[in-house]
Amino acid sequence: MESSAKQPFAPVFVARGLTKVYGAGDSRVVALKDVDLDIRQGEFIILLGPSGSGKSTLLNILGGLDAPTSGTATWRDHELTGASDEQLTTYRREHVGFVFQFYNLIPSLTVEENVRLVAQIASNPMTPAEALELVGLSHRAGHFPSQLSGGEQQRVAVARAIVKRPDILLCDEPTGALDVDTGRLVLAAIAKVNAELNTTTAVITHNSAIAGMAHRVLRLSGGRIVKEEPNPRRIRAEDVTW
Amino acid sequence: MVNVLDIKVARDLWSMRLQVLSIALLVAAGVAVFVMSVSNYQALIGAMEAHYRNERFADIFVGMTRAPLSIVDRLREINGIGIVEPRVAEPVRVIREDTNLPISGRVISLPAAGQPLLNRLHLVQGRWPDPLHPEEVIINAAYAEARAVRSGETMEVVLNGRLQGFRVVGTALSPEFIFATRAAVPLPDDRNFVVVWASEDAVASAFDMRGAFNDALMTLAPGAGPQHVLEEVDRLLAPYGGTGAYGRSDQPSHRFLKDELAEQETLSIVMPSVFFGIAAFLLNVVIGRMVEAQRGQIASLKALGFANRTIAFHYFKLVTAIALLGSAIGLVVGRWFAIGVVGSYGAFFRFPSLEAQLEPWLLVAATLVSVGAANLAAASAVYRIAMLAPAEAMRPETPPALHTFSWLQAIGSQRIPLQYVIAARTILGRPVRTLLTTVGIALAIPLILFGLYWFDAIDYMIDVSFGRIERGDAFVTFTEPVSADALYELRAIPGVLEAEVQRVVPVTLRAGHRSYRTSATGLDSGSELKVLRDSALRPIAVPSDGIMLSRTIARQLDLNVGDSVTIEVLEGSRAVREVTVRRISDDILGASVTMERTALNRLMREGSVANVAALRIDPGQSDRLWSRIRSMPKIEASSVKALWFALFNETIGGMVVIGALVLLGFGMLIAIGVVYNSARIALQERAWELASLRIVGLTRREVCAVIVSELALELIVAIPAGLLIGRYLIELIASARASESFQIPAVIDRSSYAIAALLVIGAAIASFITIRRRVDKLDLVAVLKTRD
Repeated sequence: MESSAKQPFAPVFVARGLTKVYGAGDSRVVALKDVDLDIRQGEFIILLGPSGSGKSTLLNILGGLDAPTSGTATWRDHELTGASDEQLTTYRREHVGFVFQFYNLIPSLTVEENVRLVAQIASNPMTPAEALELVGLSHRAGHFPSQLSGGEQQRVAVARAIVKRPDILLCDEPTGALDVDTGRLVLAAIAKVNAELNTTTAVITHNSAIAGMAHRVLRLSGGRIVKEEPNPRRIRAEDVTW
Repeated sequence: MVNVLDIKVARDLWSMRLQVLSIALLVAAGVAVFVMSVSNYQALIGAMEAHYRNERFADIFVGMTRAPLSIVDRLREINGIGIVEPRVAEPVRVIREDTNLPISGRVISLPAAGQPLLNRLHLVQGRWPDPLHPEEVIINAAYAEARAVRSGETMEVVLNGRLQGFRVVGTALSPEFIFATRAAVPLPDDRNFVVVWASEDAVASAFDMRGAFNDALMTLAPGAGPQHVLEEVDRLLAPYGGTGAYGRSDQPSHRFLKDELAEQETLSIVMPSVFFGIAAFLLNVVIGRMVEAQRGQIASLKALGFANRTIAFHYFKLVTAIALLGSAIGLVVGRWFAIGVVGSYGAFFRFPSLEAQLEPWLLVAATLVSVGAANLAAASAVYRIAMLAPAEAMRPETPPALHTFSWLQAIGSQRIPLQYVIAARTILGRPVRTLLTTVGIALAIPLILFGLYWFDAIDYMIDVSFGRIERGDAFVTFTEPVSADALYELRAIPGVLEAEVQRVVPVTLRAGHRSYRTSATGLDSGSELKVLRDSALRPIAVPSDGIMLSRTIARQLDLNVGDSVTIEVLEGSRAVREVTVRRISDDILGASVTMERTALNRLMREGSVANVAALRIDPGQSDRLWSRIRSMPKIEASSVKALWFALFNETIGGMVVIGALVLLGFGMLIAIGVVYNSARIALQERAWELASLRIVGLTRREVCAVIVSELALELIVAIPAGLLIGRYLIELIASARASESFQIPAVIDRSSYAIAALLVIGAAIASFITIRRRVDKLDLVAVLKTRD
């Protein structure tokens, strides 16, 4: 994949003054401090930062899994701050695809069924077979997660995330539990989705080697975005080394 | 310094407090039912033994027509006899202004010294009669209470046909009248039966018994066997009209008491033991799953280098704390209930003192069983997990059967929503766990049925005894056999719609060396006010000759149809005859011996006579009817069915109902606890998976459907299975506990099945609501950070 991917334009995500505080009193932890952020349609963003820098909190707020203590976050015409649980569920269901460090597959469903689980609740999904084809796992469709390697499980998670044709793909440490080679396969699948479906993609990592794949890299520290680096020369997933 | 693992025990207990409490309540319910019931039963046995010992209840009883007091010394000389107490005992009638019903009773002579040597009186109220005032009497406390008779009141007693006034100076309990029953009345009727203890002088002169006696009580010398003594007494008293000596087992009050205690044993020992056993099993299931849900923690502790022993000891402390908490609650509650329930026995079992006992062994046994059951479950769960390599144990358990059974893959279908596929595969993929949970829920159902069963059994017994067998509204008993033509006289009384006569005589049946003292009933064939029935309640005809025995008697005498049995009549001609057993009947109403009336008359070498009549009466005319009957001199006693109902409900009914309510309450508590825990633990085990489903966009309702459908599937199997198990257990207990005078049938009404099922479904719905609330609160973010 080259930097020739479709260029991002209008911002779809707009966050202003996002602050997230956990706990109160002595145990009060400020996870995000007054963060402003715009993400454009089709953009591939990488959030880099050490543990506790606030990147997961930011991603969770963008994905409708968590609510900020103050500030606003909107996705297109959806106001994410102050939305009810039902509204957030609908938002996740219709627009967001998630990929997590620990895959979060349902052990009692086969690969195809894990993907179909999401397809059955989406309004305009691709077929599970198509999603699996995209991540190169068509031949594993009938297996249970416990019969797959970690990398394969994560690719199933990617397939599950994209089957609904999400508008946003949010990945939290997708390679965190994987070795280099397997990690690359997963990254390639994510990049492919971003490129071919023009899915806005945000990936959290503390592995700066992955940063080369992004349109833009946001560095977080102490709950703030401390640095924003556009990346005019993107590299392919296959070329990532760590 | 406090061990960190101990801090973990305390924190775990606190963080799981609702679950801990529900498990503790399960233990408590089992322990409480067990402790309450066993201590109540022990209280009854203890009170009976103390009463018998303190009031010197006789071993041998004998009645006769009249014997001179000089015979007493000869009785004493019989080898094996200890103390001999001669007395005069006769039937009497009491006339009261406030009732038309004739009240029957017995007058018993008191020696000049006051307290007799045997069957002494336990004075409840008042004082002993003054020897200088022969009109002073003591009466039985049960009657005094039922009729509110106070010391100082006079009572009109018909002795030997003459009306005589006595003054009540005290009320007393006697070991021979714990249950004051009389012929033809199946229940002790305290309102219409009185025992009058009067001075020897007064009684002897009224019945022309000066220098003589007609009743004797005896004790056996230490080590003496009763058989030889009974024979010697009978031989000695035969010339004086002896009616046959008998031991305690044939003494009416004792026999009734023994049967009642046998019923109590079912309610108090057998059923609570089964109940406690099931509770212990359920505790086992619940604790096992609770510990398994801590798989990750156990693995982490192992990975950190803790020895299996240390980990096992850690869980030992955790579950022991829960079991001890439950046992403590159970002991306190059980003791509390015991005191309350024993209080309710007082109206029925008339003992001088009846107090709930709590023996230390009971306490220790109940605690040991619950702590043991809890630890057995915990130990096996810890062992299973500890056997795994820590790395493997740290991963969540994959349904092991999933990749070995390809048919599990086949369950999925494009048409079935995947939530239900998840549920079905989880259930089938972990067959052992599913089985345990299902069995657990199923076994909770019998605990509810145990309680409901008693209500059904009582309804059934009332329906059968009073509605189908004894179909008359009232009974009258004649002082002596009257011509069967008395029937026409009775039918002529206004208000009597129908009358039928019976001949009831005391008999001893002998077969080989075995004997059984009871009464034989002669019934007219085609009798409609008393209809004999088999256990399917089909009417059965009285055999035209020979004898019909109920099963318990036949078994005791080792008799079969066609065998011959010796029947010794204990009154009138004292006939001794051989008769053939023509039929063995079911003991629906307890042990019975039945013949055709004229056959019994022939056997007794008497004409067509009867001494009991069953009546169907017009309730509108009952006042006139009873005042007319009371004026008939030959009528000794009467009894009205409507009063039996009241009596039954007050006594046996009331007592059983309290026991059954307690059983039902605890059964429900356990059922709810088991269902709630199954749901709660299922949720705990699956929280991660459910949160993952929520994250990918499933709604709360869709996520709940996964776990609710799992539990629903288990319930669909568990409820019918539980109802069947309940029925089986009740049949087993009922058949094992059939007593002579009452057999409680294994009848369970459809409504009871429905109630038991609905209660469990209700508990499930309540659990579903808690699940829903928990799903609402699932921490989606936290789930992303951890694998388990």
